[in-house]
Amino acid sequence: MATLSTDVLVIGGGATGAGVAWDAALRGYDVVLVDRADLAEGTSGRFHGLIHSGGRYAVKDPDAAKECIHENRIIKRIAADCIEDVGGFFVTTPWDDPAYADRFIQGCRDTDVDCEEIDAAQALREEPLLNPDVSRVFRVPDANIDVWKTVWSMARGIQARGGRVLPYHAVVAIHRSGDQVTGARLRGAGTGEEIDVEARVTVNASGAWAGQVADMAGIEGVRVLPGRGIMIAMNHRLVNTCVNRCQMPTDGDIIVPIRTVCVIGTTDEHTEDPDDHTVYESEVDKMLDDGEKLVPGFRQARAMRVWTGVRPLFEDAKASDTETRDVTRAHALLDHAERDGVQGFVTITGGKLTTFRLMAEDTMTAVSKHLGDERPCTTATEPLPGSEAGEHYHLGERLSRKEARLADDQLICECELVPRWKLEEAVQRRATTNLDDIRRLLRLGMGPCQGGFCIYRATGILHGLDGLTAEQADESLLHFLQERWKGVWPILYGDQLRQARLDDWIFQGVLDVEHLPAAIPASQAEATAS
Amino acid sequence: MRGELHYDAVVIGAGTAGLVAGARLAEGGARVCVLAKGVGSTHLAPATIDVLGYAPERVTSPSAAVEELVAARPDHPYARLGFDAIAEAVRWFSERVAAGPLPEYRYVGDVERNILLPTAVGVLRPSALVPETMAAGDAASRERVCIVGTRSLRDFHPALCAANLRRAGVDARSVDIEIDVDRADQNSLGLARRFDDPAWRAAFAGRLALKLQAHESVGLPAMLGLRDPHGAWSDVQHRLGRAVFEIPTLPPSVPGMRLYEILRSTLRRAGGRFVLGAEVVSCDRDGSRVVSVATRSAGHDAHYAAPWFVLASGGFGSGAIELDSRWATHDRILGLPLRGAPEPGAPRFVSDYLAEQPMARVGVAVDGELRAEGAENVMVAGAALPGAVPWREGSGEGIALASGSHAAQLVLARSGAPAGAAA
Repeated sequence: MATLSTDVLVIGGGATGAGVAWDAALRGYDVVLVDRADLAEGTSGRFHGLIHSGGRYAVKDPDAAKECIHENRIIKRIAADCIEDVGGFFVTTPWDDPAYADRFIQGCRDTDVDCEEIDAAQALREEPLLNPDVSRVFRVPDANIDVWKTVWSMARGIQARGGRVLPYHAVVAIHRSGDQVTGARLRGAGTGEEIDVEARVTVNASGAWAGQVADMAGIEGVRVLPGRGIMIAMNHRLVNTCVNRCQMPTDGDIIVPIRTVCVIGTTDEHTEDPDDHTVYESEVDKMLDDGEKLVPGFRQARAMRVWTGVRPLFEDAKASDTETRDVTRAHALLDHAERDGVQGFVTITGGKLTTFRLMAEDTMTAVSKHLGDERPCTTATEPLPGSEAGEHYHLGERLSRKEARLADDQLICECELVPRWKLEEAVQRRATTNLDDIRRLLRLGMGPCQGGFCIYRATGILHGLDGLTAEQADESLLHFLQERWKGVWPILYGDQLRQARLDDWIFQGVLDVEHLPAAIPASQAEATAS
Repeated sequence: MRGELHYDAVVIGAGTAGLVAGARLAEGGARVCVLAKGVGSTHLAPATIDVLGYAPERVTSPSAAVEELVAARPDHPYARLGFDAIAEAVRWFSERVAAGPLPEYRYVGDVERNILLPTAVGVLRPSALVPETMAAGDAASRERVCIVGTRSLRDFHPALCAANLRRAGVDARSVDIEIDVDRADQNSLGLARRFDDPAWRAAFAGRLALKLQAHESVGLPAMLGLRDPHGAWSDVQHRLGRAVFEIPTLPPSVPGMRLYEILRSTLRRAGGRFVLGAEVVSCDRDGSRVVSVATRSAGHDAHYAAPWFVLASGGFGSGAIELDSRWATHDRILGLPLRGAPEPGAPRFVSDYLAEQPMARVGVAVDGELRAEGAENVMVAGAALPGAVPWREGSGEGIALASGSHAAQLVLARSGAPAGAAA
């Protein structure tokens, strides 16, 4: 069995875990980052993409609002290339309590959230599809973020500093020697190969799964209540500004424009199992009705895809007898030396994506003490690889790149403007045959046709690289086809159904993939809706 | 009504079913007008004539398998049409291709035996009738094949095609050939226009000949010319000294465009009128009859009145049938009742992409003569019919040809046009 030795082992490759590992690498520690699946495939990759201004919490949770605006300013700087600085509106619709708007503006003042009231007519000029009956509009510095790009930028930075990033490596055991956690045993998802990682400190950054991981370390009472929320992606940007209802936070009150689409979210339903991705029809209906309130005609627009994510809502079952280090109400850092008398093990959970950097900083500051040589945090000033120029992503970026290279830049995915060289480079860099991994890097197949045209092309290109067998290529094709269908079928209606039927003709009619020698086993078709 | 146009029959839809119905009505002496929002599924499909490919196992002989399908699925369009009607429509089609606007271009094959042609991913797919330009791909020929592609065409990957063909027992290899293009995003239509140029294809064949081995036939993506595919295909075969066959790939479909041109020309030559860009937006009814339809086109709305209508507007794929966000299904053209949708609350789709989807068989409800329920002068044809899953069973063109022909013949018989004129 292979063994690795490191200063810090981070379990969980979401934004928080990658942030912790990035923070550790910048402080000069050796670090290993592991995830049971791909990076940011869990909660981080399953949200709407909003970087909060803090406005959402200005009345309900002023501390969270202060944290958000503080981090909002930092992240726009350090992850500039992953951010589209679209701005945000809080709008008072006829369904919202008009009195809330004054509380909102006061809350923003009290929490340092930049907020300017603008004319509703001006807002409608900027967002023509917005409900014309909005009475008040406030402009705030919301933005959107490409989480996969952010997390992989950090991963590249970690690797450049000698750290190791191991996606698709599940933790199967956490090693303990008396009161000391000494590392973990990993198992590779594809290979089944096991690796023992010996670590001076192990960080449990597994979010909604943090209780499961703490259990493996023999630590009791780390209870994370997964809060399930659904999101629906529309096939284009109905709005170009993040639009929030100006009311106490509730379900279905945000539409976020991100890349080529916009996403409406979300709900908050308690679930027992963080791997429960059931989509309920009643939630879909409610979300579409909520969309109508912000953008009349929402139901006639084209809904492309639905998915769910689970928030990690932390509840400390031991809070009464041990002081937890609740840094804020938003996230929870558990130092198990203090809490449980177990050395070398720290849990970070709760929180929200906007504050992932702060969570990572707090975590590594605690870890640094354990390592005995307190080193300062530099994540607030050090740009992520790719963001050094400090320029934000803009919507026309891919198109302008394409226009400059019409003669030799072959597009593989027209919806998301993914060129062939990008695909080839990503396949080589990730050394993967899983097109869904490539999707997270490049947004391949994430546009209106949901892979109708690019899946065959990408498979053909994949097959041409590095001696992939036809069996492997076919498997990749069928797997990606099934992955795309997973988020499509529970919300398939209207023009997206037309699109799906065209895709059926391509895959089942023209290509006849159903009769490939390696058809996908039915058991692999994951049930995601009721 | 002012500005109302009168015909003996109005056909809605310009896919295979609508164009066949229109052409056969015109040939039967009816004054017919085909209205369509846009071109139909011809431009997306491989343009093979698939009568029955899978039931659900691969079908060797459509004639035998259709009988079994009809017994098992009385709601299938074939159950109402019968095998003889399919065979008659396929014969009519073959003759019209031969007499059509593309010089010497032919379809080959028959409804007794399916031909197995490679798809772009290298699956052997069954079809009854195929363009002559594809016929040499028949797996039964047991030839050694060389699949040829070019990096410039992102919609065809010869190595993957050949590798899967080998897995299916075909002795196949692949080569890539460089071609000069001015931009990287070529599709098969752009290349087909080049193949119409004799000098260009001669140069292509010259470069390809250097890469070929003895005793192998050549499979190319379906791009051997639009205006004169027989000429382009024969020329390339002659220059290479061996059999050459086309392999259908991603849309736009070059052989589908040829098929469209053949059917459109057959309609026009028989005296039928064809209005593209005319979306039917409403209809006038008188009790159980449709009296006229209104189209929206540039400048003004137009009204078309007729004693008979043929609804060949397609299913979900064309948008003629809609599933709305409250999960109700509608015929958006004439508002006719539908059949085949799952009960409210029952699953509409299932999580396994390749399984049959509960929503798959929805269509306009029809009686035993394929007349719309609740509209006695509306015949239904093609993908608008309920009961079939054409892209899975490989029955799309068989249904389109037979139901389009059937609609024309019934209308001609009922409206007293010269007997036998449609045959």
